[in-house]
Amino acid sequence: MNGEAASPGWPQVVRAKLLQQRMKEAKILAVGAGGIGCELLKTLALSGFENVQVVDMDTIETSNLNRQFLFRKRHVGQSKAKVAAEAVQRFRPSCKINAMQANIKEPQYNVGWFKGFDLVLNGLDNLDARRHVNRLCLAAEVPLVESGTAAYLGQVTVHIKGTYECFECQPKATPKTYPVCTIRNTPDKPIHCIVWAKDLLFQRLFGRADVVSDLDEAAEKAEGETEGDAAAAAEQEASFFVRQTGESSFAYADRVFHRVFCFDIERVISMKDLWKTRKPPVPLRLDELRHAAAGAASTNGIHKSSSSQQATADLSACRLLGIRDSHAAWSTAQSAQVFLMATQLFLDLRSDEVGAAVFDKDDALAVEFVAAASNLRSTCYSISPLSLFDIKGMAGNIVHAIATTNAIVSGLIVAEAIKLLAGMPENCRATHLRSSVHTGRSGRERIIGPSMLEPPNPNCPVCGTAQLSLEIDTHKTTFKELLDRVVRRKLAVAQPTIQYDGFMYEEGPDLDEDEVADYAKFLGRPLHTLPAGGIKDSSVVEVSDQAQKLELSIIVTHQEEWDEEKDPEAFSLGGKLPVASADAPAEDSSVAGLSSLTGANDDDEGIEEVFEEPAFEARPNLTSKRKRSDEEQSPIEKRLKAANNLGEDCEVID
Amino acid sequence: MVEIKDPKSKKYDRQLRIWGAHGQAALESAKICLLNCGPTGSETLKNLVLGGIAGFTIVDGSKVEQQDLGNNFLLSEADLGHSKAQGVSSLLKELNDSVTGGFVETDPEQLINDQPAFFNNFSLVIATQLREATMLKLDDICRAEGVKLLAVRSYGLVATLRVSAAEHAIVETKPDNAVGDLRFHAPWKELHDFAMSFKLAEMDEIMHKHLPFAILLIQAVGHWKAGHQGKLPSGSKERTDFKALLKSWQRQIDGIPVEEENFSEAMTNASKVWSQHGIPSEVQAILEDDCMNLNSSSSTFWCLAAALKRFIEQEGQGCLPLEGTLPDMHATTDLYLQLQRVYQTKAESDVTAVETHLRAILKDNASSISSISRAEVKLFCKNARHLRLVRFRRLSEEFGISCKHNVLRQALTAEDQATNATLYILLRAVDRFYESHKHFPGTFDSPPESEIPMLKAKAGALLSEVGASPSPAWDDCLAEMCRFGAGELHCVAAIIAGMAAQEGIKLLTKQFVPQSGTLVYNAMGSTTSVFCL
Ligand SMILES: [Zn+2]
Repeated sequence: MNGEAASPGWPQVVRAKLLQQRMKEAKILAVGAGGIGCELLKTLALSGFENVQVVDMDTIETSNLNRQFLFRKRHVGQSKAKVAAEAVQRFRPSCKINAMQANIKEPQYNVGWFKGFDLVLNGLDNLDARRHVNRLCLAAEVPLVESGTAAYLGQVTVHIKGTYECFECQPKATPKTYPVCTIRNTPDKPIHCIVWAKDLLFQRLFGRADVVSDLDEAAEKAEGETEGDAAAAAEQEASFFVRQTGESSFAYADRVFHRVFCFDIERVISMKDLWKTRKPPVPLRLDELRHAAAGAASTNGIHKSSSSQQATADLSACRLLGIRDSHAAWSTAQSAQVFLMATQLFLDLRSDEVGAAVFDKDDALAVEFVAAASNLRSTCYSISPLSLFDIKGMAGNIVHAIATTNAIVSGLIVAEAIKLLAGMPENCRATHLRSSVHTGRSGRERIIGPSMLEPPNPNCPVCGTAQLSLEIDTHKTTFKELLDRVVRRKLAVAQPTIQYDGFMYEEGPDLDEDEVADYAKFLGRPLHTLPAGGIKDSSVVEVSDQAQKLELSIIVTHQEEWDEEKDPEAFSLGGKLPVASADAPAEDSSVAGLSSLTGANDDDEGIEEVFEEPAFEARPNLTSKRKRSDEEQSPIEKRLKAANNLGEDCEVID
Repeated sequence: MVEIKDPKSKKYDRQLRIWGAHGQAALESAKICLLNCGPTGSETLKNLVLGGIAGFTIVDGSKVEQQDLGNNFLLSEADLGHSKAQGVSSLLKELNDSVTGGFVETDPEQLINDQPAFFNNFSLVIATQLREATMLKLDDICRAEGVKLLAVRSYGLVATLRVSAAEHAIVETKPDNAVGDLRFHAPWKELHDFAMSFKLAEMDEIMHKHLPFAILLIQAVGHWKAGHQGKLPSGSKERTDFKALLKSWQRQIDGIPVEEENFSEAMTNASKVWSQHGIPSEVQAILEDDCMNLNSSSSTFWCLAAALKRFIEQEGQGCLPLEGTLPDMHATTDLYLQLQRVYQTKAESDVTAVETHLRAILKDNASSISSISRAEVKLFCKNARHLRLVRFRRLSEEFGISCKHNVLRQALTAEDQATNATLYILLRAVDRFYESHKHFPGTFDSPPESEIPMLKAKAGALLSEVGASPSPAWDDCLAEMCRFGAGELHCVAAIIAGMAAQEGIKLLTKQFVPQSGTLVYNAMGSTTSVFCL
């Protein structure tokens, strides 16, 4: 399209009475009441929108206060959606904001519910929920304005079924994975130790016992034991971490320390094969460290009375130990002190949580525990220790966030929403917010760069007709593993129905107990032993989700050989060209109702600028890229990708 | 037992990860003056208050009217009829209890005319919705006192942003694609000796494929120089030969090279051997600047730059101090750590050398600077390759005869900038319109269209000063400008306010490079352009 000829002529429309009426009446769904959400609700209210529904499951935390400006200190712990709605309404009583503290993925928010809105605006921070909302918007045929931010970078895109790409037409990078063996036995980077401390040790000590981490299970097998041995070993290992009756918290912390930083390390050293090309780790001895440490932990356990009725949320081992600087790396002795103290505090003062705790980046004590444990492990493996601050960032996948970016992005969302309500979807743009000086090929500085929205990708497995290909070991992989690792984690399907010739499996609240029990019998079976011939090489499996109105077709290839370094997940999922191309893009019905407002669209002034560089690379398939190729990308690419994937860039997958 | 509460680091956790504790400290000592607190000004200041500045003073002489409630979130019904500055100030203080705030109920224009000294003690003045004539006076006042100025304005669906300051020196420019200098082209003695101590031919298979690529490249460079009169490979033929030399060192089985990850890393990084390792032109310009003639009141930046210059001339032998960071590479943990130590040791000794020069320089010039910490010297050395100095043009240059009209002329004919350049000219034309008619076009009782010819006359005059002819969008933009009626739309104000606060944070933290010209945001096309005039 010629730049000067294309006419986003909404300035006249924006002042039109008809549009103002339309904005007043439009039913808007705002998903998320966090950094973007707060700004968005405010800007919507002040732009003349009066019917807004906001959904957010989170509660307010202290670290939100510096940019989620609708919240005050007194609101910490309350629902983000509710507090935000009240705050905006108090200032603008004419704007009706209905708030729900809930997960947008809950089944009551079905296609029928989504159909009740004229527009959906996303201010979400996790990829899973963004993909879910995308699918419901497609099914309900409601236009979606999507957004994402990371530090100074941000982007706003518009998705209309049949007209523009859906959110998933360009594959999104999936979480980064690390080989289990590296995490368990041969870490060589701080992140390996952090992942170990957070997903393995923290989970073992304080988490739910019945959640057997993928890491535990696969690791035992990886050491070359048989299935039976592995199960026994895992059970034995798990039982070790149970606190004995009458055992003091001090004795327990001591015992765990010795086990994981001495006994286990010695055991790993004995696996000679591992150390042919590597330097073996060095075990830590607590008595030596304790000697070096001044105020060691209390041998009598810690009681509520002795710590002056501190709120459990404020518990901090560092504070009790007088360690102030969160930016400096601790000495090994300090790490040992923090490890012991944090373990004791957990057992003595947060005992009700033990057995059910979930790691949370804003839980100071949990972060201290993870920092201490990962630094101790780093010491064993001659990896440089990191500061508490750095570890918190890495453990929590903390996305850098600043108020200014949220402000800009929210304004851009509303600008696109107004164009949509004005019945001018052709004037919508994808807008990219760059860091300070981005000099394009023309040598010109710019902060905001628009680009034309692309038509739907016919190869998109979500809104198109593409078939996916899956390479997997159909003999070793169980049906449950397929559901958990491929269907839920990779494909973001919430409530899967699986079908192939002669077999069907369903999930969902509509099933009765007997059905659930019947289906559960299949879960532990290897794929090739499932009924009706099982899932094997060349099987075509249909995966669907009724709530998401999603239907995917997967063609399976049996693959036994997997390189653990390259494919730690031991499967590979790829896109495949569609058999037949999609129908010609249909006239979009969802915005047809708005086109009565295009009367003013005769203004031919051209203000259209095409951004010079594509901000996102389109990937040829869905296979998650490996570490090395990630590092080859420029930092800006990586960060843009992060902007698109908020906060999900690091997760252990076996 | 000592109770330590550190609520601040918790509150600012997410942003600390971007500009660091020292950046946050700079923000926390910043005093901001805001002129006019309509939606544009209020939203800009709101973003900075959330970031944690020390304090602010709002100057606005108007009272809150019903229409203000429609577009300014920081005012509510209770404020009707009261001072706008007071209303906004009290709500902003509620947003962050560690920020102090005050207000002056006076028209900014009057304050600029009557009390220029008022602005002396601020770190940054944010002037919003002010006309050209007033901005010119304010710019002179701020420059005379070394106070940085940020001009922000939203006008209908258009908004502008402009920084003005005599000098803004940035150490932490944080470029996106910085390539570290690893000295492959000219290793210092310790690095050279360390690299040469490994005998490739004598190594066992495992060692051979775990030798860091940096060592491979340094050995290859040594080998190459020995056969080429000490010169580096130049031209594509020699570069191919250089890579072939590396390849010839790979282990082979039956004449076929074995795949070794360290060697493939060496191939991909070979270009680092011959890529630019001189002193970047921006840094060279700083080293040749007039400010390098120091006196007792020279700033920390210039004293450090002078020390840097001496280092380059003496110990550095033409090179900048070593950054000292080693990228991740395929190697045994042990070897990697050893190599890292070699780089870190050299970087530390470079810092010490610069520090020694600095002490001498401070003494020689009887400098008033009490102390510059080693951490500061280290930060300067680490970023030496990316130092930037920005001298913003005076507003009187941009608005007067020394305006770079050629830049505007060019923009007016460039397809992707013509509309924004037209809008820029029209925004200046509305100010001239105001000088003649005492109101902005479209804000009078008569229908907006009736004022188009009057605005066209002003804009036409400006256009002929520039020496340009109207762009195709000219008439449409003129009509839009009249229809805007100088209104501030909240969504446009929120967007430009976000950008303005971001530029403000760059100025206050001295991190990242601010926009050097006038930024025009056009909400119709979702575009921005920057004109350095
Ligand atoms: Zn799609």
